[in-house]
Amino acid sequence: MSGLNITIEFGGGAELLFGNKKKQEVILPAKEGEWTLKDLIFWMKDNLLQERPELFIQDDSVRPGILVLVNDADWELMDTVKYVLEAKDKIVFISTLHGG
Amino acid sequence: MCSVGDDNLEEKTSKYMEPVPKFKLDDNKCNKCRASTPCIVLRGKDAYCQACFLSGTTHKFKAFLGKHRFVYPNDKVLVYHTEGHPSTSLLHFLRSGLDLSTPKKLRFEPIVIYIEDKIDLSSEERSDAAEFIRKQVEEYKFPLHYISLCDCVKKNNKVAECLVDDISKLSIGDNDKENLNQVLNSKANTTNKRDILKIYKKTILIEAAKHLGCKVVFTPELGIDIASQLLTNVSLGRGIHLALDVGICDNRDEDVKIVRPLRHFEIKELAMYNHFNRLEVVAKKEKLENIYSSVQSLMKNFVGGLQNNFPATITTIVRTGDKLAMEKSLEDNPRCVLCRGPQENRNEELTSAESTSFSHWVSTRSPQYSMTPVERYEKSLESFSVAGDSPYCFACERLSHDLVVS
Repeated sequence: MSGLNITIEFGGGAELLFGNKKKQEVILPAKEGEWTLKDLIFWMKDNLLQERPELFIQDDSVRPGILVLVNDADWELMDTVKYVLEAKDKIVFISTLHGG
Repeated sequence: MCSVGDDNLEEKTSKYMEPVPKFKLDDNKCNKCRASTPCIVLRGKDAYCQACFLSGTTHKFKAFLGKHRFVYPNDKVLVYHTEGHPSTSLLHFLRSGLDLSTPKKLRFEPIVIYIEDKIDLSSEERSDAAEFIRKQVEEYKFPLHYISLCDCVKKNNKVAECLVDDISKLSIGDNDKENLNQVLNSKANTTNKRDILKIYKKTILIEAAKHLGCKVVFTPELGIDIASQLLTNVSLGRGIHLALDVGICDNRDEDVKIVRPLRHFEIKELAMYNHFNRLEVVAKKEKLENIYSSVQSLMKNFVGGLQNNFPATITTIVRTGDKLAMEKSLEDNPRCVLCRGPQENRNEELTSAESTSFSHWVSTRSPQYSMTPVERYEKSLESFSVAGDSPYCFACERLSHDLVVS
């Protein structure tokens, strides 16, 4: 089984956690079973994240304040972390932290 | 374990409200048009398709302006622009409203102001942010003015002198943080520092609006900002100015009104609005903040945490706040020199704040034992001049101890 090819995009400042790259094409290595969004988040933490993990992850998900979109749709429509990734999916992470 | 007040509760679990269950989509259709596939969930329960979401969001903004009528055709409006999703959405709402060709077109003249206050970043990052703002506002074809918060505080709030319209004239210095801290007492806590800087920024907005001939200022506060500000105000002794600080319109200044057109929005709506419209926002490198470092961040965290499990939290707080008004009799009272809000009414009897200062005053005097206790009390009360000539309101009086210059 070959790897899974997906696109990851960042916005709203989330790119600053990932070396200031707004868009990355990645190939997720083949693994047993399916890739869920939760697996992706932890894979990103180990492979792409350049800042402290607590700025990105909290408990078993992204921190509150980071919105996730799967193919331009809110991940709350897709059962959030349980969504099973498919080839060519576009996952967008948008940070919503603002001054105040 | 203390069990006072628990008598009527049989089970421990019923002590707390159940969090609202997480979203489940029944049919895969937009809540409004009932035809398209939804792409966003709002309030944890309502799913909308992209077209319905975008038109609903724009409508909400225009409905706010239409309902309250603060701005008249050809008025100039000062728009406070800063980093983050809300103010970018605000500029886009304004541009698309002005460019309409229907009778609902907006008919006023926005002028954008950027207050450079990012003293925690390096000079280079601050210049980059300012440059980003310049390009962004240029795209929207709005006039842009810059002002350095530090510069302004140093020059004793002479806003007209510090306002520049060319980015090259914006002063960004390495020592800005130290300079700004010099104005404040080094022992000032974070809560007071944030409160003071907030007041300074508001003063800048009002003075800049006057200088540029604007009668109205738009600020980009969201529902969560309003809700946490409301609770912060109460805890910092600013309850008296609550209606001004969190209401639809702050009219403490006679000539300039501060209006909060985004107060019924949540951050998710605007972040998605920006994403679907492909708008870039000024990103700020975020630091992990100790939520216990200030009352403001504690309140924000409290309100935000509740909102996660009970999606009606923020609207409930905001709508409750809308029912509070300032007492009419206060309007003609002398103004506080710092926040410019009206001061409290003086009562015959001591208020609790005055009683506290009386108690402080009396216990720092050496007692005269030649008198009886009753005489001593009466004499003390007589000679205690109620702090009636303080130029500050109750909350700012407390802040004033942290100001080196005022």
